[in-house]
Amino acid sequence: MLKLFKEIRKAGDATTGYPFEPLEMPAGFRGKPEHNEKLCIACSACAIACPANAITMELDDKQSRITWDISYGRCIFCGRCQEVCPLFAIELTGDFELAVLNKDDLRESCSYEVACCSRCGKPYASAKEVDYARRVLESVGGTAAADIEKVDLCLDCRRFDDAEAFAHQAPERGEA
Amino acid sequence: MLENDFPNALQWRPDPVVLDAKVAEAKQKLLDSIKRSVYVYRVDCGGCNGCEIEIFSTITAAFDAERFGIKVVPSPRHADLLIYTGAMTRAMREPALRAYHAAPDPKIVMSYGACGCTGGIFHDNYCVWGGTDPILPVDVYVPGCPPSPPATIFGFATALGILDQKLHASHHVAPAGEQAPVAFPAIPYKVRTAFEREARRMSGYYYGKQIVDEFMLALTKDKVDALGAADALIAAETDTRKRAVFMDLKALLVSKVVDE
Repeated sequence: MLKLFKEIRKAGDATTGYPFEPLEMPAGFRGKPEHNEKLCIACSACAIACPANAITMELDDKQSRITWDISYGRCIFCGRCQEVCPLFAIELTGDFELAVLNKDDLRESCSYEVACCSRCGKPYASAKEVDYARRVLESVGGTAAADIEKVDLCLDCRRFDDAEAFAHQAPERGEA
Repeated sequence: MLENDFPNALQWRPDPVVLDAKVAEAKQKLLDSIKRSVYVYRVDCGGCNGCEIEIFSTITAAFDAERFGIKVVPSPRHADLLIYTGAMTRAMREPALRAYHAAPDPKIVMSYGACGCTGGIFHDNYCVWGGTDPILPVDVYVPGCPPSPPATIFGFATALGILDQKLHASHHVAPAGEQAPVAFPAIPYKVRTAFEREARRMSGYYYGKQIVDEFMLALTKDKVDALGAADALIAAETDTRKRAVFMDLKALLVSKVVDE
């Protein structure tokens, strides 16, 4: 009997100390996705990639602000948002203590200003994304920065411009 | 768009179980005074069994929920806490209600996993009626897919009022004119994206980002001799796989910057 107790003492305690002491999760553990509001440009890449639709982007009724919204209750912690984010603004952390008593506490949102097309006035992207694209194009320079004022146009207006330019070039191509 | 003018009788109308005021009072009283030793019955309403596996991990020696007197019991008649896992499917609604009514009052209801909380990835399935909350009064939500054993223990502790919840609803309004910083402004944008793409191609998005960040940090630190800094990084690296990625990135640096 004494031998058994000695044996048990030698084997030690396999049980974790949590919740009496903090538990360090292993590196690469996919816990709560942490959203960095300052880095985020509201480009919607994460909302498109999210397989569970936990992340959504919604334009408000006045079409002046776009809201990024995550429901931790729906999130399946796959890390696709982290994979697609061009600015690394969302990262899965080791935080696993997500249990709540009230369902509303599972939501987190952030609203961003929307930029409107300089020609037709339709909202087309978040102002932060347009600003980021402009600064990146300026830093790249060369042909990329040649038509930099086009970042202020929505996709439809840009298509219209391209089609017009194509039509103007028709005589040069010998199509008359 | 879907036509939404079905006959009213065919529309799904949830009739949630409403907690009796007397029962709610008794429950609060018991929760305030006992705070441990609950017997747990789990109801699988249509999940993938990932949550069940994690519940069993929670009662094994490594996490040992029986330290707190939490035991998994085979019948709802013995249970104080009902764990609803999986999305509430049309077919399992009746058994879920039967399990709820079979458990003696007062009882705690826990929505477990992403599917139990909101329907999770199956939320828009034709036979899924959302999470547990459309039909039952839920006390605690434990998100996760599946929740890990420590998350489960935290969920139990939250349900019993031992630990406070850490997550709170938040809404942030970004100020007008806020600018997102460009990462590593010292490195040309095209070179940086080429690095990132190559590192991710070599070792995936997670480790690729860590490796490319380390590489670019070393490059930006040494303002005079970037190639020398890359060489030093490669020489200091003991992990051969990581060194291979570093060497790849250095080759890219040479081809992109030095040769052009």
